[in-house]
Amino acid sequence: MTAAIPESSRTYDLSFARWVRENVKGGDKMNLCMQCGVCAGSCPIGGEMDNGPRKTFMMVRAGMKDEVLSSTTLWNCTSCYRCYVRCPRGIPVTSIIQGLAAVAAKEGYADKEKVANYYFSRAFWWSARTFGKTDERLVTMKYFFSFGLAEGIKRSLANLKIALGMIKAGRMHVGMPHTIRNKSQLKAIVAKAAELEQKG
Amino acid sequence: MADNKIGIYLCEGCGIAEAIGMDELEQTVSNEFQVTTCKRHAALCSDEGRAVIEKDIKDGEANKAVIAACSHRVMAGRFQFDGAVTVRANLREQIAWTQTPQDEDTNMFAADNVRMGIAQARNSENPEGHENVVKSEKLLVVGGGVAGLTAALQAARAGTEVTLVEKTDQLGGWTRKWSRLIPSRPPYRGLIDNNIEEIIKAVEDEGRITVLTNAIVAKTEGMPGDFEVTIDHGGSEVKDAFGAIVVATGWRMPDDMSPYEKYGLGKVDGVMTGVDFEEVLANGVEKDGKKLETIAIIIPCESEQMPYTSGVADRIAIKQAIQVMDANPSAMVYVLHDNLRAHGQAEELYREAQDKGVVFMKAMVKSAEAGPALTTDDLLLGQEVKLSGLDAVVVMTGMMPNSTNPDLPKAEKGNEFLCDDVNPRVPITVNGEDNGDGDEAKAKAAAASGDDDEAASVAPADCDPDNPPLPGGALINLQYRQGPHIPILYNGFIDSHYICFPYETRRTGIYVCGAVRKPMTAYEAGNDATGAALKGIQAINLVKESRATHPRAGDLSYPHFGLDICTKCRRCTVECPFGAIDENEEGYPQLNPSRCRRCGTCMGACPVRTISFKNYSPNMVTEMIEAVEQPDPFDEKPRILVFACENDAYPALDMAGINRAEINKTMRFIPVRCLGSVTLVWVSNALEKGFDGVMLMGCKSGDDYQCHFVKGSAIAQERIGKVSETLKNLMLEEERVAIEEVSIADSRRIVELLNKFGDQIEEIGLNPFKGF
Repeated sequence: MTAAIPESSRTYDLSFARWVRENVKGGDKMNLCMQCGVCAGSCPIGGEMDNGPRKTFMMVRAGMKDEVLSSTTLWNCTSCYRCYVRCPRGIPVTSIIQGLAAVAAKEGYADKEKVANYYFSRAFWWSARTFGKTDERLVTMKYFFSFGLAEGIKRSLANLKIALGMIKAGRMHVGMPHTIRNKSQLKAIVAKAAELEQKG
Repeated sequence: MADNKIGIYLCEGCGIAEAIGMDELEQTVSNEFQVTTCKRHAALCSDEGRAVIEKDIKDGEANKAVIAACSHRVMAGRFQFDGAVTVRANLREQIAWTQTPQDEDTNMFAADNVRMGIAQARNSENPEGHENVVKSEKLLVVGGGVAGLTAALQAARAGTEVTLVEKTDQLGGWTRKWSRLIPSRPPYRGLIDNNIEEIIKAVEDEGRITVLTNAIVAKTEGMPGDFEVTIDHGGSEVKDAFGAIVVATGWRMPDDMSPYEKYGLGKVDGVMTGVDFEEVLANGVEKDGKKLETIAIIIPCESEQMPYTSGVADRIAIKQAIQVMDANPSAMVYVLHDNLRAHGQAEELYREAQDKGVVFMKAMVKSAEAGPALTTDDLLLGQEVKLSGLDAVVVMTGMMPNSTNPDLPKAEKGNEFLCDDVNPRVPITVNGEDNGDGDEAKAKAAAASGDDDEAASVAPADCDPDNPPLPGGALINLQYRQGPHIPILYNGFIDSHYICFPYETRRTGIYVCGAVRKPMTAYEAGNDATGAALKGIQAINLVKESRATHPRAGDLSYPHFGLDICTKCRRCTVECPFGAIDENEEGYPQLNPSRCRRCGTCMGACPVRTISFKNYSPNMVTEMIEAVEQPDPFDEKPRILVFACENDAYPALDMAGINRAEINKTMRFIPVRCLGSVTLVWVSNALEKGFDGVMLMGCKSGDDYQCHFVKGSAIAQERIGKVSETLKNLMLEEERVAIEEVSIADSRRIVELLNKFGDQIEEIGLNPFKGF
């Protein structure tokens, strides 16, 4: 992410699209999109998205920066890679969606009301980074409390019954979180990844 | 020829002997009238088999051979013998492969087929061809655009003398205006330079080509091999003879541009046609000193009733978008389309345009405002989008064929020739759309009303380079009884069968190519022209040998008129789809032999049955009908006669045989050249002789006709419409006669049709005339 994102002066001002092409991973292939809609049709959670990948691509071309970066499409993607595999033009759809999500996060478009998944993924990564594993209890709690103390308590209580049921069924363990061996190596990997990201 | 000596040769190969009782068959047919010998062989198409027949012919045992083996559509060359007539009786496809083996009905079927063959042989002679009509082996090419130039060049390189007629003072046509062209070779990416100047130079340097600019064809008389053409060359008349004609008159802007007004064309500054934009592109994407950077290219959609819009517009839009991006990679180009049709290899071009950053929008333009700006309904975003800040809007207009107007003047069937009242300079429009005003419109109205004096007085007198001849015209102003025009189909494009016979028109020896046939790019037009030029050369060479050109290419037979009993009813002259028959001063039919396509429609039309071919005549078929044995009424074996068109129906029947589909055993088939050659006398003959039903199988008629002879099946439909009267007089049911349209791919349907008709006849019951 080098150059600042250009502002569009009018509809279908291509400067945003060209910025995406230069600055988002896989964006160089976005031009090839022929709007066939196979990506959107293949998406298992297309119903949970406001725009879907096909329309998002067209919105990028139309220079609709704000609408694209604040869209739920970027956050609801589960990275199943179906669109990527099926795209007849070989466009890395998933990578582009993830890339746009990264831009949105960086540019402050990640509105907690709209893009709850942003906080969930932060909680998920915290757990993964700390323990080398995801701990359901800790991820859930961290996610709930990222909306504030009161909201955290409210959501925790609302899910208490489910949690107890899972413990009873042996589906959620109690006690210290599981960790992986050689956590120091994980730390080194994460540090290296952060370094690479810094480099761009 | 002396007395008929008919030799019958029964083939036993390909499963025939297993299915048919050969001893019985040999015995039955040997006793037929004029049969001199009957021989059997295990495989007649082998060298030994051929030798048997050859020996008999040489020894004078037989002068006509009935070869009872496979369908006449296969092995035709194998079974030709010098000095003898060959007739084929179909035992293989129709019987051995489709009937119950060694059954009584199968044997009856086989005997009938051989007997019909004998009747056919008895009435056939080898055709000798008409007198040589060729006065010139030159080719006339009308139109000096890329198609005309290529046709002339290719024909000249093949050794033919060519005259090229161009109405303006310059060769090259539209293609001169194009800045760059769509690539024609792999990898189909990267635009190529316009090579029209090279083609023009090659044409000018070619010694076999005479180029006449500022010239139009004022009049065309005669027939293939002998077209007498009057060329108006800058006001002076040039007369010359040609063997064949290639029409490559190309296209023009639609006469009616009003549908494009909603895109701002002619209303908003900065909106231009794709043709004008080519000039801008050639100028480095600059107009009036201003660089154009943000450009919308609109491809109008067909749903908006723009009849001349075609896939060419889509490809040119892609090409122009690429050109803008090539000149300036930071330009913004939008291609607005409904359906984007990238025919052929243009998909690669589409990808190239995408790669270079062209934005394709599925957007319907609602209105154009000053700026220019466009208000569109963007179907991909699902909202109304305003495109503003544009430097230019380019509208891809349609390509209207420079063809002819069938309504102007009206062809008068069966009347005097209507030749001289056509003024080739009078502007004409396609589909009756009137765009002219002032003198042009007056001239047109005068021509329409048949007042040629007035038409001549208001039409421009001479070919003035500053005032070139008006678009359209009667093209080559044919002096044919059907009128001066080359018939057209949809939207005024000259009629041609896109798949089977792309260059053929309904006028023999006249071929079309380029954008007057269908919308094409320059490269496609060049390819098309090569084909048409070769068809022209082929026509000249066939006519030289007195042979038919199309679709019975190579046929030597031609219609003979028995003038002694001709009643001058003129039905043959009127019904001939190709204007091949004129009337002489006494009112008798007079054949223009090389216009004739040998369909026999005249033969079917003649009420006194006096038109015949050497190997195809009313009498021949009547005897074939009589040759079929009608079983005793008490046997309850119906017999149904099928006249099957040789072009589609008969091949479909053969295909059914090859697929071993069971063909109804009550059917007897007579192949006919075209349903147009079927006379109603045959139908009534068949019913009188005891046939229980008659079916006619031909090609599709109507606007999207498939008839190889254009009108034959339509004429047959009309004639059959009148047969019910005859049937009523005979006290027979109307349902005993049916006509069906089948295509060559209908091998399954044809079997169902036959079975259905068989059931229908069984329900009606046997013909009461049987046994009389």
